[in-house]
Amino acid sequence: MSVASVPFSFSRLSLIAGNTFLEAVRQKLFNFLLLLAVGLVASAQFFREFNFGSSELKFIADFGFGALIFFGSALTIATTAQLFFSEIENRTALTLLAKPLWRAEFVFGKFLGVFAVIGVFCALTIGLMMALLWHREGQLMEMRPEDFANGRLIAYGDLLVVGVLQWLKFGVLTAIVLLIASFSNTNLFTVVTGFFVLVICHLQYLARDAWGNVDNPLVGLVVRALGFIFPNFQLFNLADQVGQGAGVSPVVALQVAGYAVAYIAVIGGLAVYSFRNREI
Amino acid sequence: MSQPVSAISIQGLTKDFSVTLRGVKLRAVDALNLEVAEGQVYGLLGPNGSGKSTTIKIILGLLDATVGDVRVFGVPAHRVEARRNVGYLPEAPYFYRYLSGRELVKFYARVCGVSGTTLKARVDEVIDWVGLSGAADRRVGTYSKGMLQRIGLAQALVHDPKLIVLDEPTAGVDPVGSAEMCELIRKLKQQGKTVLITSHLLAQIEDVCDRVAILDRGKLIVEGSVLELVGQRDRQALIVDPLSEVDLVALRAWLEARGHHLNAVEQPRARLDQLFLSKVSRPGRPGGASAGVGSNEVPLDAKP
Repeated sequence: MSVASVPFSFSRLSLIAGNTFLEAVRQKLFNFLLLLAVGLVASAQFFREFNFGSSELKFIADFGFGALIFFGSALTIATTAQLFFSEIENRTALTLLAKPLWRAEFVFGKFLGVFAVIGVFCALTIGLMMALLWHREGQLMEMRPEDFANGRLIAYGDLLVVGVLQWLKFGVLTAIVLLIASFSNTNLFTVVTGFFVLVICHLQYLARDAWGNVDNPLVGLVVRALGFIFPNFQLFNLADQVGQGAGVSPVVALQVAGYAVAYIAVIGGLAVYSFRNREI
Repeated sequence: MSQPVSAISIQGLTKDFSVTLRGVKLRAVDALNLEVAEGQVYGLLGPNGSGKSTTIKIILGLLDATVGDVRVFGVPAHRVEARRNVGYLPEAPYFYRYLSGRELVKFYARVCGVSGTTLKARVDEVIDWVGLSGAADRRVGTYSKGMLQRIGLAQALVHDPKLIVLDEPTAGVDPVGSAEMCELIRKLKQQGKTVLITSHLLAQIEDVCDRVAILDRGKLIVEGSVLELVGQRDRQALIVDPLSEVDLVALRAWLEARGHHLNAVEQPRARLDQLFLSKVSRPGRPGGASAGVGSNEVPLDAKP
């Protein structure tokens, strides 16, 4: 019997994403981590006496990025797992998936909802950090105008680019956690495994450097394969290049962004495939 | 000439679940065959663990059949297209607590493709139909169980499906809520909808179902119309004013002279749920006396 097909719909996908976003921002965890991150960034100006020898403005930027990366990673893993399992455990997924809705729309809707939440978090944290830097740099310009003969020192555009790249990195992490959640039975397993994978992704370059060129071709092959399976999160750490030499290269930034988008597409596709076979 | 398509057609359905890592299987549904014709109210009955909910989940495409063929209006149940004409109310529904009733129904309506000018009208219509107009702007988190069932029914009906699947719609709901749900099911039948209900509360189902199937340990034990299964065609009951002993003897003699037997003389009893419904106040009703004791029918014109 021939029936009209139900095409993949971006409208339904955006509905799921919007609902996920709404649920996330009403959670205490999001507000708590956001407040902590914002508080930490804002407090950077009080720690400027402890700048360990680097310039004061560099210290504020490092402090801000540190807060962004630490709380952003925790928020990404916890929020993704929580928002996915709340649908399963509360059985709202049953009602939703009993509608004419593709599971791909559900998974990518969840992804986009969490990605938007993390986007808000990154925008607020980076925005506050840039405002602090702008304010302090203005004060320093008045106090020591000779150091700022060529105008402001900080490349705010580069800060923004690094912030966007961090957001994309969190997007990759969101896709990874969704993939784990698609076959995991518990929220706890998803969160713990998510943190392990986060550590692997940050440290995998060490293994690749140490073992990638060993004599045993099999070990070398395995290490290189693992290097492709787990994305290298060190590539996203361009914060050190802000204000150094020519700053952040647009070409490098675009390459890293492409790298993130490719991983999101592949890992998201795997999450959809895994979730399609899941019995709800 | 082509045969009319069943609302639900289940042929040789078997569903196994792996219960251990070593591959030990639990058979939840065993070689089930069922046909649900369009326009029927069909009850899927059985004790806990009999395979009712598993069967429903397969019909809804939430689980895959291990063996067998399941179709909804002729479309294989695992396809997304099969769910276009299906509304589903899960057992003990839990919805997004942070949305109001109206926002919730609107969300599901949009997921089902209801849009434009019809969206608001349709959302208002189903909310009014289930009797929640007064509470539509309250958060779902503040709803009682009965109200959750009704908002659940509203989201199931908002895209005007031809088949409505209700999984234990009266479980955990008080007798008033159960009676209201039964009234709504009767109204759905009047509108020509096909309704599939699972329940283990048999008395409630008996009043609304055209046909029932009883499952036990995943197997179909009994299937047929309610009248066929519980009616005693070789007996009749006469309800009369109280008879004196003399009249009773005379009646017995009169019947025996015509080849009949008086099998039992009993005092008719109202059902306890009907007594309850006649005494307690119900939303939308001025008093509790409208559903009279002794009446077998709950009035259809009442708003829940």
